[in-house]
Amino acid sequence: MTTYSDHLPSLDHQPYQHLFKPGFVHRRLYIDEDIFQQELLYLYGRTWLYIAHESEIANPNDFITRRVGGRPLIISRHATGSIHAFFNRCTHRGAIVCREPRGNTKGFICGYHAWTFNITGECTSVPLRQGYGKSFNLAQASLQPVARLESYRGFIFASYSKDVPSLTEHLGAAARLIDQWLDRGEKEPVVVQNGAMPFLVNANWKTIYDNAGDGYHPPFSHESMLKVFSNRYGDVDMNYYGSDFDKSPMYSKNLGNGHTFLDQRPEMHKLSAWKRQHVMPGYEVMENALIEKYGEAHALPMLDASTGSGMNLNIFPNLLIIGNQIQMPEPLAANKTLLTWFATSREGVPEEINAIRMRMQEDFPSFGEVDDSANFEACQEGMASIPEMAWIDIRRHQDTKVGALDPADQLWREPMSSDLHMRTYWQRWQELMNAGATRALVEAGVA
Amino acid sequence: MKPETKTTSFDLAFYDRMAAVLNAWKHLGEIPLDKIPPHGMMEEITRLLYLESRLIDQRRLREWLDLFAADGAYWIPADVDYRDPRRTIAWEFNDRRRLEERVERLETGQAYSQIPPTRTVHLLSNIEGMLADDGLLHVLCNFHIPAQRGQDHQARSGWCGYIFRKENKHWKIVLKRVNLFDADQPQSNLSFTL
Repeated sequence: MTTYSDHLPSLDHQPYQHLFKPGFVHRRLYIDEDIFQQELLYLYGRTWLYIAHESEIANPNDFITRRVGGRPLIISRHATGSIHAFFNRCTHRGAIVCREPRGNTKGFICGYHAWTFNITGECTSVPLRQGYGKSFNLAQASLQPVARLESYRGFIFASYSKDVPSLTEHLGAAARLIDQWLDRGEKEPVVVQNGAMPFLVNANWKTIYDNAGDGYHPPFSHESMLKVFSNRYGDVDMNYYGSDFDKSPMYSKNLGNGHTFLDQRPEMHKLSAWKRQHVMPGYEVMENALIEKYGEAHALPMLDASTGSGMNLNIFPNLLIIGNQIQMPEPLAANKTLLTWFATSREGVPEEINAIRMRMQEDFPSFGEVDDSANFEACQEGMASIPEMAWIDIRRHQDTKVGALDPADQLWREPMSSDLHMRTYWQRWQELMNAGATRALVEAGVA
Repeated sequence: MKPETKTTSFDLAFYDRMAAVLNAWKHLGEIPLDKIPPHGMMEEITRLLYLESRLIDQRRLREWLDLFAADGAYWIPADVDYRDPRRTIAWEFNDRRRLEERVERLETGQAYSQIPPTRTVHLLSNIEGMLADDGLLHVLCNFHIPAQRGQDHQARSGWCGYIFRKENKHWKIVLKRVNLFDADQPQSNLSFTL
């Protein structure tokens, strides 16, 4: 089995070491524009990134355009069904070739000098080609594909560097949890064609990433939401954050390679996920309609499988699977991130189920995410503006010694409120960034 | 225990009605002469729209809620393509109950996205009315809402589609669809009321 370390030069260059001390990370990691630019090269440039879901380009000649890790991409499907991803940058003068967010086409024509490319990015014509002389090679003018492209059960990943292990090795233990997220109910295919909420957050991408595995904040950041729901509906989902939830069966887990997992299923799906789901528009009428159509014995399992997954699966650095949604944090600047929440539906379920899934997926973004975003922006402002206070605290459950290997899978787990997630991904961050910085020195001939 | 709901909408028939409304608004050209509301009716509605703006800008959200019918809905799409809401997520698509929850949340004093609250000024223009079946009145208008929270100053713009119904001599909002002109683009703090 190859690991990332097999791909590293032996030089032990650690330019970021001074920004870490046990239980703390330095504010510069969140506010420094140079480090941000280095992240785009060393981190986003040298690991697997989630770029799209296969259902977003379901049909032959479908394409989407999207920035991932800063790079504008075209992601497309050829008539034969094959999936392609290439940089959306004309090989001629560097213009963005395709300026539409999505569509169906046989090819792309650059608006500047009409260099033309097919759906797989191959250059098919260049106007007045004779002007380039006899040596001109059309194949060399093709749009540049990403270095590696692989899918795992519909999730398309790309790497901008060839030197990464296989996607399966990268995902490691996270793959089994993707399976669990997909294989609910009757395992109807998950579809990502239901629109998205793109949140613009004035905070570093890691402030958002920190939160994705922060099982400490829910009862405090989301107190307003929890109050409304428990006042109205009693013991519904997330009410279990009302007491010492570190004593609950929920947990935080290190999946390796920087990936982490928060499992709320032991509480959220206790007895019946649907019965514990707080209401959304259509809750009662759709429940009644489904029971009438299919009988209670059939309808309730369908409804149980429609609720939020109770999983927060964080695949470093840019795929966050939460509830029924897929989130992509996209770094825009040291202090600016686009956090897109993609809604999902399931193919082949009764349309009542997908309708309540839509309304359910609107709940947390407008009742919870808004407060998260406000807190992220408050963090960014505080970190950026006070040089006298340099350190960010990630100590929770570091010294309590309550972490242990899960006997079921030999993975390290800690209580729900642990900062295990942050300590896990920061370690990965350092591995990738140190390796990238080292390689840059080697490539520059300095080392 | 979940309390009995007053909200009866958001079944499949409701979504069918929404699809018909969207189709009508999407293709609307000149309003047919026989659908133009009488002058007095438009005056009443315009006064009501201005009252709604004032209540929102002053954050008198309980009074604002009273403008909605028991089966009223508040909808901010996240697309600009009139997509089917059965299969499309919205920034918000609230029945009366979730609209009340939204207001209750803001009243807890712990809704950090609204501490401090966003200040707004609702400017309305291009107000048009159209008589519809079952005594309903469709009203379209454009909006521009300068908004400020902390150091963040920006405006939200677009058009609103309303459906009104007269109940006990008062017009009530059956639907308010807030169509941001950039609904599919990145949005910052949208936790205030549009």
